[in-house]
Amino acid sequence: MTTTGDVRAPSARSTPGGPRPRRRSTGVGRVRGAVALLWLAPAIALIIGVVLFPAVMLFRASRSEYSITGLYKGGAGWDNYAKVLSYPDLPVVLKNTVVWVVAVVAITIVLSLALAQLLVKDFPGRRFVRWAVIVPWAASLVITSQLFVLLYDSNYGLVNHVLQGLHLIDQPISFLGDDRFTMASMVVVGVFVSLPFTIFVFIAGLNAIPDDVMEAAEVDGASPWQRWRQITFPLLRPAMLIATVLNTIYVFNSFPIIYTLNDRNPGFTHDTLITFMYKLAFKSQEKDVGMSAATGIINVVIILLVVLVYLKVVNWREETSR
Amino acid sequence: MSTTRRHTMLAATAATGALVLSACGGGTGANQADGGSSGGDKATTITLMAAEYSKDNTKAFWDSFAKEYKSKYGYTLNVNVVSWDNIDQQSSTMIQNNQPPDILNLNAYASYAKDGLLYSADDVLPSEAKSDILPTFVKYGTYDGKFYGFPDLSSARALFYNTDLFGKAGISAPPKTWAELEADAQKIKATGNVGYAMPLGPEEAQGEFSMWLFNNGGDWKTDGTWAINSDKNVETLTFMKKLASEGVTQGNPARTNRADAFDLFKSGKAGMVVGFSPLAGDLDKDGTVKYAVAPFPSNDGSESKTFGVTDYLMAFKKKGNQDAVKAFYELYYSKDQINTFIEKEGFLPVTTSGLEYFQKDDKLKVYLDTLPNARLTPTDDPTWDKIKLAVQQNLGAAITGDPKAVLDKLQQTAESEG
Repeated sequence: MTTTGDVRAPSARSTPGGPRPRRRSTGVGRVRGAVALLWLAPAIALIIGVVLFPAVMLFRASRSEYSITGLYKGGAGWDNYAKVLSYPDLPVVLKNTVVWVVAVVAITIVLSLALAQLLVKDFPGRRFVRWAVIVPWAASLVITSQLFVLLYDSNYGLVNHVLQGLHLIDQPISFLGDDRFTMASMVVVGVFVSLPFTIFVFIAGLNAIPDDVMEAAEVDGASPWQRWRQITFPLLRPAMLIATVLNTIYVFNSFPIIYTLNDRNPGFTHDTLITFMYKLAFKSQEKDVGMSAATGIINVVIILLVVLVYLKVVNWREETSR
Repeated sequence: MSTTRRHTMLAATAATGALVLSACGGGTGANQADGGSSGGDKATTITLMAAEYSKDNTKAFWDSFAKEYKSKYGYTLNVNVVSWDNIDQQSSTMIQNNQPPDILNLNAYASYAKDGLLYSADDVLPSEAKSDILPTFVKYGTYDGKFYGFPDLSSARALFYNTDLFGKAGISAPPKTWAELEADAQKIKATGNVGYAMPLGPEEAQGEFSMWLFNNGGDWKTDGTWAINSDKNVETLTFMKKLASEGVTQGNPARTNRADAFDLFKSGKAGMVVGFSPLAGDLDKDGTVKYAVAPFPSNDGSESKTFGVTDYLMAFKKKGNQDAVKAFYELYYSKDQINTFIEKEGFLPVTTSGLEYFQKDDKLKVYLDTLPNARLTPTDDPTWDKIKLAVQQNLGAAITGDPKAVLDKLQQTAESEG
């Protein structure tokens, strides 16, 4: 986010050393245009090759007609977009996407705030616990998801075994097959894998709060809740901002969890835009790369809009310049 | 000084260009596949994209096949074994980039033939090989009057039943009719197990449904027109729904994939399941479940029909690769190669000579007897490639919804495509 923040005119804020006007004189730091280009070349090449080129290809594919075999058959104009936007299952998919993103991000942030508070406190074994928190982050998403498929299984899954052992349920629950449970079961996994990153963002944020402010508040007689509400929470807002925006993007784009856990469910009842896009290309009766590419473009537009609206709402300029 | 700078600039530009190019080329990895053919008119290297039937055997077989191919014909075969989960994507991407493999091993071919991408048998299949292939498979491999879908192996389905559970439930013989199957499933359910494991999940819903509808005198197409919502088929699906609602199947048949149903049977918790020879192989290896195999019962007790499946080895038209491709098929359909492959993978033959070769195995008898008359899904119709996907995604809805409505919709899809 900081890079986005720097886009605004440098003169708008006073950086140490002051605004640097373009200097024509010789001296340290003077770079000729051509030489500058030389140094920037690898980065530019990388951006062109890894970001721009695929984006252009994706856009081109979204305006092309493909056979079910993948054979290019000619231009399609905006047909693919029209087909995607009028797709009967699209409303369900959009609803799932909103539920999935909002639920995972909100629950993750709340839990992470609490856990980060715990992990900044000094207690025996803290080092070990902090390491343990990283594990779900380090593990491959597909493996984690597959593990949860086994845990949730209605015939021999551990979760049902425990619940039945405790006599909480009589019949095993089909967590991934029963429509009432599927989304909630996937959200649990989504939260589980998003926690580590978010917790560490908050730990960093908490560590950055100066002790003297806290001490001053304590001297002034603020209660622990007041201290948290009036000092910790406001000072944590930049961390909150980063955690929310990055998590929203990650969770929105999260493919392996939904794809793996929703694998045996037919249709699009529990798909989000990302798995919808995949199924359009390879699993649905359309099996149409062009429609899938159009969905990809729509996805990028949606996520950009969501992030922009969010930043507007929380007034990021004010926050980042603190 | 200025020349030095110009050189630096040039080097930088070149480096940039190289980076961009490598970034672009990295995506497909198919560029080198053409290497052989660009040298002259004749390709000396061809690429095979093969589906992975098993971790242990597939790669090993194709690697040794490539060695034999090289020593016998002098061509090089690049072997690329891809999992079933990814092979559709990879082949589709390669075709998009105009870099198809020379030989592709897949479970469909008609759409490729329709797009004019394939060699027909007249171009690349040696006549001895063609005459050896069983007529059923030639029939289903023929699109628009020409034979394009060369079968690599086949499987036929049969009813697997757990003899321990049958004993416990007091059933002495496998069911011969659907009514018996239902009654047996009820008895097994009474022992606290799953009577009949019914996988209608997206993995292979069309397979399970085919087995049932063929044994009720139905079909996907009759006399060349789609008949998905025929009365017979509606009756079939309604019966399957009835089994599910009586609770004699596992919970949620619509969300159970074939692999899950097999797992259930392998764990000894299911009385019956439609299986095929690789399942038998797994069961024998584990050795924990006592089972037997019988023909799948028909609705009215008439002779059982089996559902057969074959995969294809199709050849893509590429400049100069015809001779190498022809040599490939000559070698593959030689008795040593094809029978070794099929035996190792635990599948069934697709050739007359293969049928003879596999007679030695008593366990395969139940399948081999039915194989020449096996019914297949209409793989020779490109529309089927879409209907298959539609069935996989939508058939399960009948278990909780209206079977006729589901089949009507599929029929509509088929008619609007065809």
